[in-house]
Amino acid sequence: MTGDNLGRTMIENIELEKCTSCGICDDVCPADVIHMERSPGPARADGLVQFKLLPVIKFREHCITCFSCEIFCPEQIVDVHPSVKNRPRPW
Amino acid sequence: MAKSQGTLIETDVLVIGGGAGGMIAALSAKRHGPPGTSVAVADSWMIGRTGHTAFSNAWMIVARPDDDIDGITREIVAGNDGIADQLLVRESLQNSYARIADFEAMGMKFPRAADGNYARRPTRGLDLARVMCPEGGGLEFCWRLRLALAEKGVKLLDRLFVTGLLGGPSGRIVGATAIHSRTGAFYVIKARATIVATNAITFRSGFVRDITGTGTLLAHHAGASLRNAEFSYVRPGTPKFYFEGITFAIQEGARFANAKGEAFMRAYEPDWADEADVPRIARAMAEEKKKGNDPLYLDMSPIPEDIREQFIHSKVKWMDYFFRKLGAEANTDMFGKTPYYALNQMTKMAIRTGPDCRSDVPGLLAAGLAQAGCANHFAGFHIGLGIGNGWVSGRSAVEDLDRLSVPQLNLPEIEAQHDEAVRPLAGAAKDESDRILRDLQAIMFAYDVGILKQADRLQEASRKVARLGEEFRGISAPHVHELVRLKETEAMLLAASFILGASLYRTESRLSHFREDFAARDDENWLVWVDIEPGGNAAAPTFKKTPIPTPLCPVTAQAVRPSRLKARASIGGV
Repeated sequence: MTGDNLGRTMIENIELEKCTSCGICDDVCPADVIHMERSPGPARADGLVQFKLLPVIKFREHCITCFSCEIFCPEQIVDVHPSVKNRPRPW
Repeated sequence: MAKSQGTLIETDVLVIGGGAGGMIAALSAKRHGPPGTSVAVADSWMIGRTGHTAFSNAWMIVARPDDDIDGITREIVAGNDGIADQLLVRESLQNSYARIADFEAMGMKFPRAADGNYARRPTRGLDLARVMCPEGGGLEFCWRLRLALAEKGVKLLDRLFVTGLLGGPSGRIVGATAIHSRTGAFYVIKARATIVATNAITFRSGFVRDITGTGTLLAHHAGASLRNAEFSYVRPGTPKFYFEGITFAIQEGARFANAKGEAFMRAYEPDWADEADVPRIARAMAEEKKKGNDPLYLDMSPIPEDIREQFIHSKVKWMDYFFRKLGAEANTDMFGKTPYYALNQMTKMAIRTGPDCRSDVPGLLAAGLAQAGCANHFAGFHIGLGIGNGWVSGRSAVEDLDRLSVPQLNLPEIEAQHDEAVRPLAGAAKDESDRILRDLQAIMFAYDVGILKQADRLQEASRKVARLGEEFRGISAPHVHELVRLKETEAMLLAASFILGASLYRTESRLSHFREDFAARDDENWLVWVDIEPGGNAAAPTFKKTPIPTPLCPVTAQAVRPSRLKARASIGGV
């Protein structure tokens, strides 16, 4: 199962260019959706690449739409869509 | 350990589960234990930011010292159709006011009414009980608890997913094994007393789908009996949006309606109508579905315009985000026509203990919804009892520290638990536990299995669950994230077989257990707990009747739940 067919729903976007790498979104996620991972920044003039820890929406299909990442992000750069798509319907 | 490496953590008291019940248990162990008592809490995710309470309003039943506590105990016991530990219910109520003082000392604020007393509200299904909640709801409540734990020196073991309880060479519980839920690293936690507080089995249907109740099944593997598997908390809701506050919306005029526009609840519950407690609403919804009267709705239009905002702009932060971001759609959805279902299944299967929260296995206790104190939880009573039994379990745990022998670890047992914990990572990488879970949900959530039960349908569902179990044995996990989910699904499969087995075993109808083939309540034969005792060494478990002690109030057909609705008359004046 991938998150590709879920449409506008659950955690959507993190504005990575404004991210300070604090990792709170990863800490507070109760569904292990966001992982802080080492990501390469833009190549510098001298050819060196600087790596930075940035949040990756790793298991979007398991987002429970609890908004914790958005609520606790100090930079307010996380966007969770309120539509809930992966909840079971009993009949 | 020759093959595997791990980290050893030693503590006097280990609490498994970092929700409200577990955190209160840890605080209680610190409060009641001699100076220097070490306490640790382990949770798969971040303690204080997970668990059911964190995502609720944190409404809790609180009795003032001048309240009629015996009367509230009686109505809760009656509202459980007798399936309640009367002593534990009363003690939880008796302790509830003192806990509020504790919470205030942690910096929490509880709104007060004009007369200076705490602002409290009635809750559905009960006449005398009153509920209140802290400012900031469950997120604030749980975070303040976490800060208090840290301040008191409780070791916070975030991201440790417990995969086994250790029996040691003596058979008493001497701690647990765990894997780090991100790295997969192996941990051994040696403890003199272990409290399981991992909430209920929910089949990932509730508000908080990380609640999977795995600790209950681990306790069963370790020799503990379970009970109340035939009961469940199926509440009305819609998969389309979360709505924490149906109880109060109904108090303000909301009504359940069927496709014909009929407000149907009074036909099923003449006295309580829409203010009946949750199992009765779920049953009525299932009956309407069976008659073909669906879709069903919660008609919020009778709620006066001037107080609708209260429901859209909740005090609960995540709900506030939710409805604010939904914008105009929120108005349409909530006050228009959105189909409702009986869903959010939270099963009541939990660990059998006495009123002291000790299980049958020395060194193992239970708290929160992992403790089988009651089979029905009214709004505010999930948390009210979780606080109550958390407090009792922490006290009992430290009382046990001197009585129990020094724990000894058994290395072959640890090796075996390690191998079992990481085994799925070794197989071919397949990612199928989500599919198994969806199939399991379809079986267990069917209205004519989960709510309206009958022997043939329960047997057929059992066969399907067994077949799913066979399929499950072949799957593996490509990474640690999936390993945790796979382990949770494994626990849910076992829970499903117990739920169906206990539902077949109880041949009467009571509370949330409705047997169409045994429609009547039968106090003569079934005023008992159905206990699931471990069979040992892969043998099937046995279902057994245990008489329910009634030290405080007799349970008879006459002593039924409160039948007159006083609650509405007293809104705002409590």
